[in-house]
Amino acid sequence: MDLIDRYAYSNRLRRVRPEHKVAVALGMLVLCLGLSTPVVGGLTVVWMTLLAVVVAGLPLATFGRVLLTEAGFLVLTTAGVMVSLGATPMAGSEVWAVDLGIVTLSSSPPALHQGLELVSRALGCAAAMNFLALTTPQVDLIDLMQRLGLPALWVDLMTLTYRSIFLLLESAHTMAVAQDSRLGYLGSLRRRFESAALLVSQLFIDTYRRSVRLHTALEARGFDGRLRVLPASYATDSRFLAVGALAGLTLIGGWWLG
Amino acid sequence: MSGIIEFRRVSYRYPGQEHLALRELTLTLPVNEKIAVVGRNGSGKSTLFLHCNGLYRPLSGEVFFRQQRLSYDRAALRELRRRVGVVFQNPDDQLFSASVAQDISFGPLNLGLSEHEVRRRVAEAAELCGVTALLDRATHSLSGGEKARVALAGVLAMEPEVLVADEPLGSLDPWMRLTLFDILERFYERGNTIVMATHDLSVVRHWATHVIVMEAGTAIFSGPPAALLDDPATLTMTGLAGVWDRPEALFARSAGTACASAAPGDDHCEPAPPRRARAGLTL
Repeated sequence: MDLIDRYAYSNRLRRVRPEHKVAVALGMLVLCLGLSTPVVGGLTVVWMTLLAVVVAGLPLATFGRVLLTEAGFLVLTTAGVMVSLGATPMAGSEVWAVDLGIVTLSSSPPALHQGLELVSRALGCAAAMNFLALTTPQVDLIDLMQRLGLPALWVDLMTLTYRSIFLLLESAHTMAVAQDSRLGYLGSLRRRFESAALLVSQLFIDTYRRSVRLHTALEARGFDGRLRVLPASYATDSRFLAVGALAGLTLIGGWWLG
Repeated sequence: MSGIIEFRRVSYRYPGQEHLALRELTLTLPVNEKIAVVGRNGSGKSTLFLHCNGLYRPLSGEVFFRQQRLSYDRAALRELRRRVGVVFQNPDDQLFSASVAQDISFGPLNLGLSEHEVRRRVAEAAELCGVTALLDRATHSLSGGEKARVALAGVLAMEPEVLVADEPLGSLDPWMRLTLFDILERFYERGNTIVMATHDLSVVRHWATHVIVMEAGTAIFSGPPAALLDDPATLTMTGLAGVWDRPEALFARSAGTACASAAPGDDHCEPAPPRRARAGLTL
């Protein structure tokens, strides 16, 4: 959470209207999903990386590391689509099969193509979402939801949940350090589990107490059931929008040619 | 003495508790004073503060604001909370919003002010508290001192007449304390009243113009600091003798001196005989 927040607040697109960043990211995501080919998926990854690194100024290593981690999971989960390991080879006309004794490893061009399509499409969508998460603070997204007229209760819940995540993380860290300093996590496995269970149960109590104190503090400032806050002010970056539009056109062109 | 908030025989009990947190408390908070409220933990300071702007309602007795008895309907509470601001001990209990500017704007927006006026107040409160550069930051990314100043700005943006602060100095370093006192001084100079809970003797001696001592849910002293600190009889009566008049007595036992058992006013401390070290452990 800290890493995402750090980049979201320090990138070059920080002051750009969140609706524009959401439009570009969601536009690319929809095109990637709709024009479902490996070329479009690959182009989406390339464009989102360029937007994140060149336009927003995020480090390539960071954006790449996040994307590679996701790619690792995707390849693992789609391996079952691309290859088959069983008593008999997979069905089809152009099947390649390797007999390993008791089992047969098999694959086929359509299966590999389907796997590649799945990976590239999912990775393209993940890249679009990564771009949005790493360039747009949650504050801006909540603000956008408010301006779009989403139900107030929903926006208030998002605000409090977001704030609570950090309070919970802070509480959990403080408690874990306090337990660790009294050898809470150095004993037997059973003892370590007991420490973790104690931490979780205490965290619930702590959360409840905090919520009571927060409610009292909100009432002290005139809370009447609605969390009213000022909308933030942003700038329009026409170059960013132009690059976003060009990226979208490239995807359509890639699909047309591919 | 002209009072801004007055308690008349106020009692309060927390749900599920047997003992009273406030016990027949009769007290007047003087107007345009810097009031330090002192007392042991659990003496009723925080409970007293939460009665000041109607967050808690007395079990019995009455609270008055500028000679008007508090009524607890929505409109009256809104007006009271505009005029009496409360800053809590832990700023994390107060900051709820994702960004600093939004958090400071919460109180003024609840007063039904226009967006233009809210923006003016946010800018002014941020400037007063030295957090203008932090307005776009996320509240969770602030340091302890920054959170304390943002929490204070969130209350000052409502432009109250009385600021009630519950031990705001607790977790602050001396440099941040200086900043906070500077902010409070500027608020006070505008003709406002400050009520602050503290355990710090120097705050009572050098900052406060009025001091209240709380003990077991009631006020046992209310008057100028000199009348408390320079009068051994009053110090003894309030249970502060030997601690508040001579802070060094706190360390007498660990320093190996006999000061802890010395009578009030006795400045001569004899070294105590050294303790015998236990086998394998030198204390």
